[in-house]
Amino acid sequence: MKRVHDMGGSYEYGEIPVSLDSEGDFIDDEYVFKYSWHAKALAITLASGSLGEWTLDESRHARECLPPKDYKNFSYYERWIASLVNLLIYKKIVSLKEIIRFSKLVDDKNSQNYLNKSFKLDKRAWLSQNVKKDLSIGSSSSRKINIKPAFKKGDLVRTVLKNPNTIQGGHTRLPSYAMGKKGVVTKYRGIHVFPDTNAHSFGEKPLPLYTIEFNFSELWPSENESSHDIICLDLWEPYFKKQT
Amino acid sequence: MLTSNLSFPGNLRRMQMGKVKNNNHHNHHNLLPSDPELRVKTIESLLLSKGLIDPDSIEEIIDLYENKIGPQNGAKVIAKAWTDNEYKKRLITNATSAIAELGFTGRQGENIIVVENTEKIHNIIVCTLCSCYPWPVLGIPPSWYKSDEYRARTVREPRKVLEEFGLKIDSNKIIKVWDSTSELRYLVLPQRPNNTERLNEEELSKLVTRNSMIGTGLPKVYK
Repeated sequence: MKRVHDMGGSYEYGEIPVSLDSEGDFIDDEYVFKYSWHAKALAITLASGSLGEWTLDESRHARECLPPKDYKNFSYYERWIASLVNLLIYKKIVSLKEIIRFSKLVDDKNSQNYLNKSFKLDKRAWLSQNVKKDLSIGSSSSRKINIKPAFKKGDLVRTVLKNPNTIQGGHTRLPSYAMGKKGVVTKYRGIHVFPDTNAHSFGEKPLPLYTIEFNFSELWPSENESSHDIICLDLWEPYFKKQT
Repeated sequence: MLTSNLSFPGNLRRMQMGKVKNNNHHNHHNLLPSDPELRVKTIESLLLSKGLIDPDSIEEIIDLYENKIGPQNGAKVIAKAWTDNEYKKRLITNATSAIAELGFTGRQGENIIVVENTEKIHNIIVCTLCSCYPWPVLGIPPSWYKSDEYRARTVREPRKVLEEFGLKIDSNKIIKVWDSTSELRYLVLPQRPNNTERLNEEELSKLVTRNSMIGTGLPKVYK
């Protein structure tokens, strides 16, 4: 069954939340962070990630593991914060008791002095002098290892019908709308960390990655909006087979 | 369906044999206050008190993404490609290193691919599974890019979606939708607007809108 985050092609959503002016031109009225708590949510998530206790794929998986009802109702950064708490507890970095205690503390005006004092930094903490440098380096998923890619440009392929990761609700980057579909390899992209294992602490298992093109009419045979349009996805080798 | 692919990782096989349980659907977040601002404050306070986050780092991260890393970076890349054909070639063949020439590198842009709009092709970027986006050149994604509506509809009705952005693409053109399913990050190289031959790089960069680099818009018209 299609999961809530796997929403590509879903019919249940309305207009894109944007506005046009009287000339029909797009109005760019975006703030980088609409509220200060959005900025905090992003920064705390990044700083927590830098503790090195989980991978990017695990943090995506944690968001996908929110109860579907919460995922739907939460705004973007609420999803981030809820899944961050779950990860922090799951990885035993904080305890349920601590969460309960601090939930009460922040509501209590008398505790502000306590919250404002400075604390000794853990050795894993991301130091401010490293932030800019580390962000400018990032963390590439590309791996220089010797695996021969099994496919080449022009190969006809068909994606698998089911997520190769059969952990119930396991992480994958093969969206359900592109499962069991015919496509063509247009580019080999090198060896990259495999999310289906990396999201479950089973290691990086780097594998060949390719861009696969799908005809619009293959993915959406009943739609006729524009049958000659193309959808491109980046897919790892276990996500597809040679089309015979 | 089990795949017989030889490169299939052993751990996945073990997972398929049911030896590993998943820890699905956590809801510990229900313990937090209901107001999102207080939720964030709760976690922030707890992590600060445990010394797990440096308060100066939090400020530094926010400052970088609020003021320094944004679509103005991507606009410089596009304007350079419009004026320097050799640079454009490097950008198409190895975008990550060509973009690094201008000093834009790092998180969520470790492997960038530039896709070029032409007379025949209009490219548009989406991430249906989450919100992948090329941060070093475009910054933090706008809220519409992260919206469920954009994520759900762009791969199924791209032309209707584009019309909601005020963009009508000629039916003779092919629309290419790029769903960011891996860690590759996509940037659209829009077509240079007409009547801009006399503009320099800096002037050109002011015509490059964020949406034109995602594919949901075009550069500004020069009058």
